[in-house]
Amino acid sequence: MKFVVSSSVLLKQLSAINGVVSTNPIVPILENFLFKLEGNTLTVTASDLQTVMITEIEVEAGDKGAIAVPAKLLLDTLRGLPEQPITFNVDEETFGTEIVSDNGRYKLSGENPIDFPKTPSVNRGQSVELSSASLATAISNTIFATSTDDLRPAMTGVFVQIGTENATFVATDGHRLVRYRRSDIKSSSDTSMIIQRKALNLLKSCLPSEDMVVKAEFTSSNAFFSFGNIRMICRLIDERFPDYENAIPTNNPNTLTINRAEMLNSLKRISIYSNRTTHQVRLKMTLNDLSISAEDLDYSNEANERLMCEYNGDDMEIGFNAKFLIEILSNLTCKNVTFELSAPNRAGLIIPVEQEDYEDILMLVMPVMLNTYA
Amino acid sequence: MEAGPDKEYSRKIIHIDMDAFFASVEQRDNPELRGKPVAVGGGSERGVVAAASYEARRYGVRSAMSSRIAKRKCPHLIFVKHRFEVYKYVSGQIREIFAEYTPLIEPLSLDEAYLDVTENLKGMRSATHIAQEIKYKIKKATSLTASAGVSYNKFLAKLASDHRKPDGLFVVKPGEGEAFVANLPVEQFHGIGRVTAERMHQLGIRTGLDLRAQTEDFLRKHFGKAGGHYYKISRGQDDRPVEPDRVRKSVGSENTFERDLETLAEMQLGLAPLIDDVWKWCERTRIFGRTVTVKIKLNDFQNLTRSRSSLLPIKDYAFIEQMAYDLLEENFPTPRPVRLLGVSISNLEDTQPYEGKQLTLNF
Repeated sequence: MKFVVSSSVLLKQLSAINGVVSTNPIVPILENFLFKLEGNTLTVTASDLQTVMITEIEVEAGDKGAIAVPAKLLLDTLRGLPEQPITFNVDEETFGTEIVSDNGRYKLSGENPIDFPKTPSVNRGQSVELSSASLATAISNTIFATSTDDLRPAMTGVFVQIGTENATFVATDGHRLVRYRRSDIKSSSDTSMIIQRKALNLLKSCLPSEDMVVKAEFTSSNAFFSFGNIRMICRLIDERFPDYENAIPTNNPNTLTINRAEMLNSLKRISIYSNRTTHQVRLKMTLNDLSISAEDLDYSNEANERLMCEYNGDDMEIGFNAKFLIEILSNLTCKNVTFELSAPNRAGLIIPVEQEDYEDILMLVMPVMLNTYA
Repeated sequence: MEAGPDKEYSRKIIHIDMDAFFASVEQRDNPELRGKPVAVGGGSERGVVAAASYEARRYGVRSAMSSRIAKRKCPHLIFVKHRFEVYKYVSGQIREIFAEYTPLIEPLSLDEAYLDVTENLKGMRSATHIAQEIKYKIKKATSLTASAGVSYNKFLAKLASDHRKPDGLFVVKPGEGEAFVANLPVEQFHGIGRVTAERMHQLGIRTGLDLRAQTEDFLRKHFGKAGGHYYKISRGQDDRPVEPDRVRKSVGSENTFERDLETLAEMQLGLAPLIDDVWKWCERTRIFGRTVTVKIKLNDFQNLTRSRSSLLPIKDYAFIEQMAYDLLEENFPTPRPVRLLGVSISNLEDTQPYEGKQLTLNF
């Protein structure tokens, strides 16, 4: 098997799918890219058994064949080459692969393509078309709140519900929760699934910067995405997602509306003085007045700031992990946010004041107990 | 907190208790077991009954009874292996139903919980209606029955749920608590165990009425701090709140072995999965303890418990493992072969001041 390809085109396409190749895979064959040549099309597959990414590249050939090529070795080689056409000569008996460039020759020992795991086929799934920008926003708005606790696998992914009216993306680690809804993604019938965090991270990083249509298809066990010349198939998490709607408190009489950036900056300063393991900060609210404070008893450090805000409700004090608040506020882009609170031991909701018509963002964070409340 | 009558009657508490939970689940899933005396638990000579069906209870089979005694009381008793995964799933189903009504849920075990429905998510005024709805929904979702007790505090709600079991619903209305308690034998009171009940009997206290006749000083003298609690409950008073984040005091895992263990290697092998269980819990909840306890039950049922404490919460698996193995080794050779081993962690970090505890969503 033999083909000629531009070194930079190949590098770009391989880099797009390389994220799925793990450095220490369960089976060694997964350290390779699977190359499949048919006519002038080279199909490259990378897999970690959970997620498979495939890209197609136009090459100059007239040949047919397949080979598994060590991913790291090949990428390192390509990164070091100046842009030029390079020739691959593959001996399909020995799996020896030779790359010929203007600079010289490189011999890699490939592996038998038969050993590469089969890609799950997606047929009779439910299909949805969505814009890559919407998808990227939905992912970045939720993925930070997923859990890393493998003992609760359902929470290590993002729960996606696509209905006839809108699509809802939910992530939670039990301490905070994000519910992100968009009315510009919909489907002819209701479907829901939990998509793994790793797959979504990969998807996000290879979605194109210019907006384009992403075709998605879902079966009971896999999600399938395709855009440009990239396809991705990922195994869904086969678990029941927690009943998140019931976790969102509905009766929150105390509301605090504040400039997001001011609060974020204040929290960043105050949190420097908070306890290093709990990152606890104290929010004290009285009519139109917010004070944020923290203390670290171990080092006798303390800090306190007062901020202008609009506060309606009973005077109250509530503790939060500053990291969670900072993460939530940094992930929002609006000018002002509203905190909806009920009691120092109940979840607080954070809702952007300015939202696009098609968007509905709700973030929730559980408090940290203060000693004044027992 | 001094509870005046208004304050005393201001809450609406429901206690829900599934009827013969594990056994009912087994009878539900296996029609052949229906109407028959069933015990969930190890059927082997060494096992313990984890739960008994009502048919088995008629023969005097009770949970925590050794399988051998249970078999003697009811020779045609059918033993089935527990399926904790299924019980946990059902438990999740009923908690979801509770959560439709209130976030103030205090689970006591997989099949039992207190609910404070004073302020409820449905805005319903009648706690009795809520209890009826919950019972109906549990039946619909799980095909199992539950008993409910409704009252103005936890103590009475729990007594009430016991009053009309199975599939019962009993309400102790404001003002009725004292009279309700008066007629009941003290051993039915939650918090009065076998030993305390015996001591009370010796003092001539048999019913709620007898208990109420005692002064608080007298009860405190004989029962210490708990005496104050007994004084209150004999009047139907209990101001303990329903606590959704009930603080655990310890976490442990134990195992009765098929065959008595004699060598150190066997015991270490038996201990390893128990340490694993306990550690997984610590990791998951991020609650760590300062004390490691190893329990060794000998084949004459004598218990040896040995513990060791660290100054700081132990946040390292290897450390717990080391402490547990040390405790085991220091007691080796044991005076007799070993029937059961257990590992537990106590002095949990959360029993320290509550300050700084990150609260978790109730999933």
